[in-house]
Amino acid sequence: MDKNVPLTEALFYILLAVRKPNHGYGIIQDVREMTGGRLILGPGTLYGAINSMMSKRWIKLYSEDKESRKKKEYQITDTGRDIFEAEVKRLKELVENAKLYEA
Amino acid sequence: MNKFRLYFDKDEETKWLNLMCMNGWAFTSFCLGVYHFEPCESGEYIYQIDLLSSWSGNKKDFAVFMEESGVEVLSQWYRWVFMRKRASEGPFEMYSDNESKIKQYARIRNFFAVVLVVEILCFLDELYFVMRMPTLALWGLVVLIGIIILAFLQIVLKCRWKIQQLRNEE
Repeated sequence: MDKNVPLTEALFYILLAVRKPNHGYGIIQDVREMTGGRLILGPGTLYGAINSMMSKRWIKLYSEDKESRKKKEYQITDTGRDIFEAEVKRLKELVENAKLYEA
Repeated sequence: MNKFRLYFDKDEETKWLNLMCMNGWAFTSFCLGVYHFEPCESGEYIYQIDLLSSWSGNKKDFAVFMEESGVEVLSQWYRWVFMRKRASEGPFEMYSDNESKIKQYARIRNFFAVVLVVEILCFLDELYFVMRMPTLALWGLVVLIGIIILAFLQIVLKCRWKIQQLRNEE
């Protein structure tokens, strides 16, 4: 699992955006909102990231009804959550160490 | 309005489509080098071109995903995809980080590397023929294939250079 961390910024925010079932457009909008407009995911970047995370089983398709014309929704898996938690732990360590030198 | 162009470099091609749009002509479809344009407001759309990742084609999957992400897919030609978004919706870039930009240029480089090898084989084949039966038409063909080979080679080298630039930025 260790070689998956650190996550790229795109992967980190996509994982955060699929904690609830979310579709492509929704992920782009949510990430834009979370970062105050700083990170606007390119649709090609998102497409590549989703395919790669689907094959690693970090995320899965949510929609039960495959015949419906509803947009495809993605949701984080338990593996995805573990990867995400490991990254958050690493980031916390960074921030805590930085704080030691702040004062 | 229709225009015929031969573009091998998708960056130059994108630039041209966006320039046409600035001049009030919105690109709407592509087939065999013919670009179709409809009148539009100056700068109404932003255009992007991408190369699909697989030879067998993930065409439909890609197109559906793009449409669901708010991107209009205009034309899919072999592995190439032409897309646009309204400029009023903000900036439109396919790739937002260096890692995915590098992957895109690597895809394009590999694509042209394969067609380059095929062209070189054609070239050698034609050269063999022309040696045995030197006619003007055959020589013309040899020269034409030679020019195409140089154009493809230029793209492969440009992609390598782009990837290097992006790696240096990281």
